[in-house]
Amino acid sequence: MKDIRQQYQDLTNRKVFFIVFFVVVLFCVACAALAQGPSSVGFKGAIAALFSDSGVSHAIVYKLRLPRIVMAVLVGSGLALAGTVFQAILRNPLASPYTLGIASSAGFGAVTAIVSGAGFCTRYLIAGNAFFFTLLSSFLILAIARIKSSKPETMILAGIAVMFFFSSLSSLFQYMGTMEEVQEIVFWFFGSLSKVGWNEVAMASVMILLPAPILLKWSWDFNLLANGDDSAKALGVNVEAIRRYGIVLASLITAGAVCFSGVIGFIGIVSPHMARMVIGNDHRFLLPCSMLIGAVLVLAADILGRTLWAPQAIPIGIVTSFIGVPFFFYLLIKRQRDYW
Amino acid sequence: MIVRKHPVPVYASIVLVCLVFLGDRQSNALQRQAGAIVGEAAGSGNITIRNSNGQSLQVQLPVKRIVVLNPDALEAVRALKALALVVGVNSGIHRDNPLFWPGLSNRPGVGSWKDPNYEQIVQLEPDIVICYARRPGMDLEKKLGPFGIKAIRLDFQKIGTLEKELRILGRVLNKEKEAGQLIDWYREQQEVIREGLKKIEHRHYVYSESYSPYHTSGPGSGGNEICILAGGFNIASGFSIPYPEVTPEWVLAKNPQVIIKAAVAGNCYGMGNGGPLKAIRKEIMRRPAWNTIRAIRDARVYVIESGIWTGPRAIIGISYLAKWFYPEIFEDLDPEARHREYLERFQGIKYQGVYVSGD
Repeated sequence: MKDIRQQYQDLTNRKVFFIVFFVVVLFCVACAALAQGPSSVGFKGAIAALFSDSGVSHAIVYKLRLPRIVMAVLVGSGLALAGTVFQAILRNPLASPYTLGIASSAGFGAVTAIVSGAGFCTRYLIAGNAFFFTLLSSFLILAIARIKSSKPETMILAGIAVMFFFSSLSSLFQYMGTMEEVQEIVFWFFGSLSKVGWNEVAMASVMILLPAPILLKWSWDFNLLANGDDSAKALGVNVEAIRRYGIVLASLITAGAVCFSGVIGFIGIVSPHMARMVIGNDHRFLLPCSMLIGAVLVLAADILGRTLWAPQAIPIGIVTSFIGVPFFFYLLIKRQRDYW
Repeated sequence: MIVRKHPVPVYASIVLVCLVFLGDRQSNALQRQAGAIVGEAAGSGNITIRNSNGQSLQVQLPVKRIVVLNPDALEAVRALKALALVVGVNSGIHRDNPLFWPGLSNRPGVGSWKDPNYEQIVQLEPDIVICYARRPGMDLEKKLGPFGIKAIRLDFQKIGTLEKELRILGRVLNKEKEAGQLIDWYREQQEVIREGLKKIEHRHYVYSESYSPYHTSGPGSGGNEICILAGGFNIASGFSIPYPEVTPEWVLAKNPQVIIKAAVAGNCYGMGNGGPLKAIRKEIMRRPAWNTIRAIRDARVYVIESGIWTGPRAIIGISYLAKWFYPEIFEDLDPEARHREYLERFQGIKYQGVYVSGD
């Protein structure tokens, strides 16, 4: 019989294997995305174009396909990381950037820009507004939590209230909007990666990649939080601080993910659960695994959205739910033991 | 195998899909017959019209009080010199575009074009309410029917149905002469373009972008219709939905010769300079990798405001498009002069504002 140390090592190796496996899957999906497009540039052409420095093929690969792939990875991993962190600090399997009203506030920001800008707003104004309102909603949740207490239930209830508040504000603006404005709002809510270029990727990278290492560093604290606030406090975790700063950092990541691409639903809630099913609840492995699954899901959804009905593209927000929900149901039904 | 295991859900899904398909076909069939006066009972003052949604409706003449929810219909009502009959309007016109609607500030707003306030409408005691073919929903008829108020559904959005809709409106409002004059003017303008287009050898490839970035105008959209009428070949004409999303790479691969972008500006009529329209054009010109597209290389990117893109002024939009597509053929065509004539002669307001950007 193996000793406990050996068993732990095997378990760790298994988790590392899964992470490496998802890195390989992500690489393969990214290669498929690089090779796929309506122009005649195939995989070989795309690789050759990457290393040339001029020509139409180079422009297609370097300026259109590559930023789209990088953004899909950023958005998917960002939403998944934010979702995992929300679930950990609030100890609730339903917590996600959407259940906490973060996405509705981003949507409201975009709607405000579209309606008040009388349609002449650039996409940076829409993105900036979405970002601003995302942060505003997270500070609102924090303020309520600070007045009352930083308990998970308080924060979730505050988040749900924020979600309804911003959703109704968005509805009010849609109600008041002209036919053209309503059309633009509806399309924004569908989500899209078509508007993405390197500038957007750079801005989203800052918002997503800067807070990510801090959250990854708190993996042990998230693990301890799973046993309850008292137990975590007894082991030296500053529960209130982790919860407050965790919310702010996860909101910042969500804002970076949604402000340029619109609302891409489901990734923030489903990726952590998928990762938990294959890798368990140890956040040292769960956080990177969830990020990788989120990135693969968004990238795969983008490829499907572009190819299923080509040359018409199905908005990515619709595809993520279409492919994610049945797969998630399958995992829920097939899974024998409780994973949460 | 799946069918044998789960017969009920599988068959229910098939039936549901069939019902949706049949429902859509029926609705499309009704729409094809839309917009006509189908009968007139001698001496009774009753006429039967067919709405833009294809449904028939009896209207008692004369009509003395009307509420107009559809702003495009309100423009048509003003063109027929029937504003005196209007007792209530879409509240949006007071908020978004008051300059364009002088003289209507004292008419009460009755809510939005898609969700009006029924109680307020009933209080105004109109004979008819004019609204879009599909919005608000059929609740409108159910709520207003018991009060003897009829809902006339006329879109005034597409040039192809504009003439029929104007004839119905002219008959209902007893302004047939004015409707005839406007229809004659439309025909005259279209004839000039039709004649010009006989001289073209190849239709120019056009990417027509709707209000939202990378959403093009497919079949069934007003943008597709006016692009074709102006002699352009819409690269999205083979699509199956009106406003599909496309990828930037697809546009690049199609390499259009002209790019048209529709923009929204509620108060374009009051706009002093074309700055916002120019900003939109600049953004398109700078889109990543698009500098290899012919339209960008040749600076043939044009932004057009929604007011002249669809609706009663779509003919102005068509004139601009035709001139942009084939400048050598339509050298003498002056869309701005046409627009001025329309506003001053038919709408009774002075020409002002900025509606397009091409530089």
